[in-house]
Amino acid sequence: METYNKALNILMKSPVTDDMIQFLTHATLQVMPNNNSNNNAAAYPSPPGSPKQVARLPSLRTFITKLVRYTNVYTPTLLSAVCYLNKLKRILPKDAKGLPSTIHRLFLACLIISAKFHNDSTPLNKHWAKYTDGLFSLEDINLMERQLLQLLKWDLRLTNEDLILDLQYLLEPIKQHIEITTRQKKKMLAYKKQEVYKHMRNLSVSSNLSSSTLVNSSSYEDLRCPSPGRRSLSNTTKQIDIWHDKNMPNDLSWNIDTHPVSITSSSYNY
Amino acid sequence: MSSQFKQLEKLGNGTYATVYKGLNKTTGVYVALKEVKLDSEEGTPSTAIREISLMKELKHENIVRLYDVIHTENKLTLVFEYMDNDLKKYMDSLTVGNSPQGLELHLVKYFQWQLLEGLAFCHANKILNRDLKPQNLLINKKGQLKLGDFGLARAFGIPVNTFSSEVVTLWYRAPDVLMGSRTYTTSIDIWSCGCILAEMITGKPLFPGTNDEEQLKLIFEMMGMPTEATWPGVSQLPKYAASSASFQQQHPNAALQGPKDLKELLQVNCKEKLDDVVINLLHGLLQLNPDMRLSAKQALHHTWFAEYYQRPTN
Repeated sequence: METYNKALNILMKSPVTDDMIQFLTHATLQVMPNNNSNNNAAAYPSPPGSPKQVARLPSLRTFITKLVRYTNVYTPTLLSAVCYLNKLKRILPKDAKGLPSTIHRLFLACLIISAKFHNDSTPLNKHWAKYTDGLFSLEDINLMERQLLQLLKWDLRLTNEDLILDLQYLLEPIKQHIEITTRQKKKMLAYKKQEVYKHMRNLSVSSNLSSSTLVNSSSYEDLRCPSPGRRSLSNTTKQIDIWHDKNMPNDLSWNIDTHPVSITSSSYNY
Repeated sequence: MSSQFKQLEKLGNGTYATVYKGLNKTTGVYVALKEVKLDSEEGTPSTAIREISLMKELKHENIVRLYDVIHTENKLTLVFEYMDNDLKKYMDSLTVGNSPQGLELHLVKYFQWQLLEGLAFCHANKILNRDLKPQNLLINKKGQLKLGDFGLARAFGIPVNTFSSEVVTLWYRAPDVLMGSRTYTTSIDIWSCGCILAEMITGKPLFPGTNDEEQLKLIFEMMGMPTEATWPGVSQLPKYAASSASFQQQHPNAALQGPKDLKELLQVNCKEKLDDVVINLLHGLLQLNPDMRLSAKQALHHTWFAEYYQRPTN
């Protein structure tokens, strides 16, 4: 369990990847499996070169990708939405059906609720409406938010266990990496101890001790940085500062954070 | 909604809502109706979302009970347990002429005990209140005290949350938060408890600053200027350098003066004789270094409360 917690911390600190979006798309489609009879391909990117074939209703994956780009949403906020989607799956009847856009609504509502519950400053619903590229109106958004809160009975708290269970697919490779690194570290330490012991007898210890430290720390650094194979979306993202809206009601007894840089930068504080 | 509850007089304005007294027509029980007007551009306010989802779980005799939520297109109504008064209004009502009066010490102790009980329950449930102040502590004629406003509350303990340092009403805001810390935890509420304890004793707010800078100045004047020696890591806080420089400019000799005698200062505004035990508790709550502050649970075990936890069993 401790390794999973470590893996969770690392996952939450990494930038949003294509892997994550694929995972979210899949999780959303699972909420109402009967709703996607003619939309199964939606989980995969539309083939390049034929953009005109994209209907007015974008594929779910395209929809999610655009939202992530426009809002520059934090990884934890995005991934926590999966927990709400899975809760919904358990609540909704198995044969639940809706409009083709219903799955888009489900995802968006879960993302909005996740953002509002987990962050001190979040976009207003009018911003969310704007970032659906006209797919949903402000009234649509307000309605889906209200309906989701009622469906979930305002029960929005998540535990580490919830997150680990629902994000297992993404956590597994990180966990394995940690375990391999730990094993290597142990082996290395054992080896070094032996070496040190040998050298102690020869009275030359210091150089080997320091090299052992170097090996360990570099392999850990490697783990914390996203591997180059995972394309980071945030690199290509235009930074749009909708997390710090000046139009929040003035009657709050506190001010919305006025230092957007400190939050949108990759320093995570919790 | 209107069918079940009769709306009576207005009780006050909360952080983001108006509160009315209400009567449950079927049970004849009074309730407090907290009405949040929904702004269509914002949707459901995140303050309401957090207050509802967090308070739903918090069932404790020192936390106001949330009975129900009525959510319509234009209005969100939270149905709460009714309380007669809040601590701020109660203390104001004791003012003689222009001079505020502290509460009797036995009442201070009973209120502080209940405050810490409620807070310890929040913290055990991984919830920070982040807005403790006399206005948000509700009381009734039986002398009960309950935490009443969770508009700024947040869950903690999962690697998902981002925190703002613009929390807690200025007078009750901890020095680490004032200096821009975003990694605060339960100790943020403990500082507020210390400020409230002093305020109940004297009837006056302990650190009534008008802006962030003055607030820190008032705190440092009384408690001394923190250094790396007394608070390891303090110099890394975003606003430490600036506040330290301006403080030393205004008080060239402050480093030599050190903290003031809290007992002496409070005694001036307290009719009863203050003992060292309560001052010791106050120091435990008002540690500048957040890691040094008592936890709510530790504070409940402080000698000052011995009469409560050593209650004779008949």
